[in-house]
Amino acid sequence: MVSGTPVWARYFAVIFIVCTALFLLAPLFVVMGVSVSESQFISFPPQGFTLHWYEKVLSSDAYVSAAWTSLWIALTVTIAASLIGGAAAIALNRRSLPASGLMSAALLSPLVLPTIIYAIGMLLLWSAIFGPISPLALAIGHTVIALPYVVRTCLAVLADTDPFLEEAARTMGAGRLQRLAFVVLPQIKPGLLAGGFFAFNISFDEAVLSLFLRKPGLTTLPVQIYGQLEFSPDPSVAAVSTMMIGLTIVLLIIIDRTLGLGKIASV
Amino acid sequence: MSEINLSDIHKSFGKVEVIPGVSFSVERGEFVSLLGPSGCGKTTLLRIVAGLETVSSGRVDIAGTDVTHLPPEKRDIAMMFQSYALLPHLSVAENVRFPLRMRGIGSRDEQNERVKTALDTVQLSHLGDRRARQLSGGQQQRVALARAIVSRPKVLLLDEPLSNLDARLREDMQVELIEIHKNLGLTTLFVTHDQEEALSLSDRIILIKGGRIEQEGTPAHIYAQPSTSFASQFLGSANMLSAVVEDTGCGPMAVLGDGQRLPLALDEAARGAVSLALRQEDLVLSDASDAGNGAGLKAKVRARVYLGARNRYVLELAGASLRILTGNDQLFARGDDVSLTIAPERIRVLAP
Repeated sequence: MVSGTPVWARYFAVIFIVCTALFLLAPLFVVMGVSVSESQFISFPPQGFTLHWYEKVLSSDAYVSAAWTSLWIALTVTIAASLIGGAAAIALNRRSLPASGLMSAALLSPLVLPTIIYAIGMLLLWSAIFGPISPLALAIGHTVIALPYVVRTCLAVLADTDPFLEEAARTMGAGRLQRLAFVVLPQIKPGLLAGGFFAFNISFDEAVLSLFLRKPGLTTLPVQIYGQLEFSPDPSVAAVSTMMIGLTIVLLIIIDRTLGLGKIASV
Repeated sequence: MSEINLSDIHKSFGKVEVIPGVSFSVERGEFVSLLGPSGCGKTTLLRIVAGLETVSSGRVDIAGTDVTHLPPEKRDIAMMFQSYALLPHLSVAENVRFPLRMRGIGSRDEQNERVKTALDTVQLSHLGDRRARQLSGGQQQRVALARAIVSRPKVLLLDEPLSNLDARLREDMQVELIEIHKNLGLTTLFVTHDQEEALSLSDRIILIKGGRIEQEGTPAHIYAQPSTSFASQFLGSANMLSAVVEDTGCGPMAVLGDGQRLPLALDEAARGAVSLALRQEDLVLSDASDAGNGAGLKAKVRARVYLGARNRYVLELAGASLRILTGNDQLFARGDDVSLTIAPERIRVLAP
């Protein structure tokens, strides 16, 4: 304990931590509990124990096809956002762009703009130019929302690097592509991996854009969950949610093993 | 034959002309220092030789070939940076191999052999497997040096490579640099703001001020015979006094602002207003009240800085402040009246 901290402040800190844990984690445990409940309805506390709802989810065409849609879109978004965001961060870091302040603000603006407004705009724009909604429209929309995370993580990583490294590589005979492959990419790699992880997760559980940019056959998992909840709520919704939580945890473990969570936390 | 040749180099950043027309050359195997205060353009000149800066006009030749419009990666050079610029994700050996890989020099085995030789030269062969960032500053410095010599470049460019090291390591590295330069016979261009470094390492010093060459010559020549007051202040931090030279019955005398007189050893020197350069180590300090010191200049002690083996005094003389270095045998306090003498032939008379 830090000496000199008043007793009331320590109590306050404990209460604060307990509340944070409660409201952050408890809802997840509630969902997990409901997913194994024998009740036909979504109710808490759960009654009994069954894996019936998991079985129902895995044998449901609607859920499985929604999961595949979400996965493909999330993977596309991860790759697109990493490529575009990484390249943008490199350019911004060198300050070689005209109006780089404006560029950076534009790239980061999806963080603060209301997604619902962007979603309506995207729907109208796409319909006006390209006609019916396609998976590409949704992937582009998700990429825009995910970009700020990639740009931010990559910029943070690049800020810690020696700006003379590329010049040094030039004096050692490295041409443009060699510098990209042997100097720039190795340095930006942690930022790309962390940003890609964020991009995947954002796309995978994004609901607002997915609700607007949908059509029969283009339903993502969050939209499917929402529809199920609205029209025939049963604990299968909780089961699929629990599986999504599980996927996130698996991804976190993979990232931790390959890169270290500490690095992501620091960017 | 000159290995590096710069002719009439002009360089502007925006509207500011930082290099207003400079020409110099470096002979094969020569060690030349560009010396000057920060912001004088010496690093810009080095970067122009490397190709990291383009020129506004002028021509750069390396080994007899016009390289003015060649990018750095196409020039046969190696450069050491102040920050060392080691690649943090690579091992020490991979860092040293990097120039060979990028330039496609030799087979894998030949590269290994060369990396080993280069690391032996800087006595780091036992650390080849370490990551660059696990090394101390001095060791990183050596890796950077090994990386610079591994491709046996025509020209070695050094951008204040010693300035991040502590005093002791810096002295060791200076000795090592001289040895390596002698053994490999590399044509070396060295940028520094440290006059001692330039004096001890160079075959020739080019003193730069405001983007122009102020003076150039061997260390001994440029130290002993600075041609301008900037040169004498920058090399040896000489004291500058304004004076007027007059002829008297017993030869030329310098008359200081307060009327005190100082004999000069000039035969046919400038008359009228001049600047006198008096080196710290040439001035002799004695007690003004001692008999027989009547010939010295009267000055007052303003401060004394104890430096261990020596003392630095700040004196007031003719409205100017003078710095001198003395031993420990006679100590003066603030406010003491002292007498200053200097051998007339040690005084340099320069344009005011």
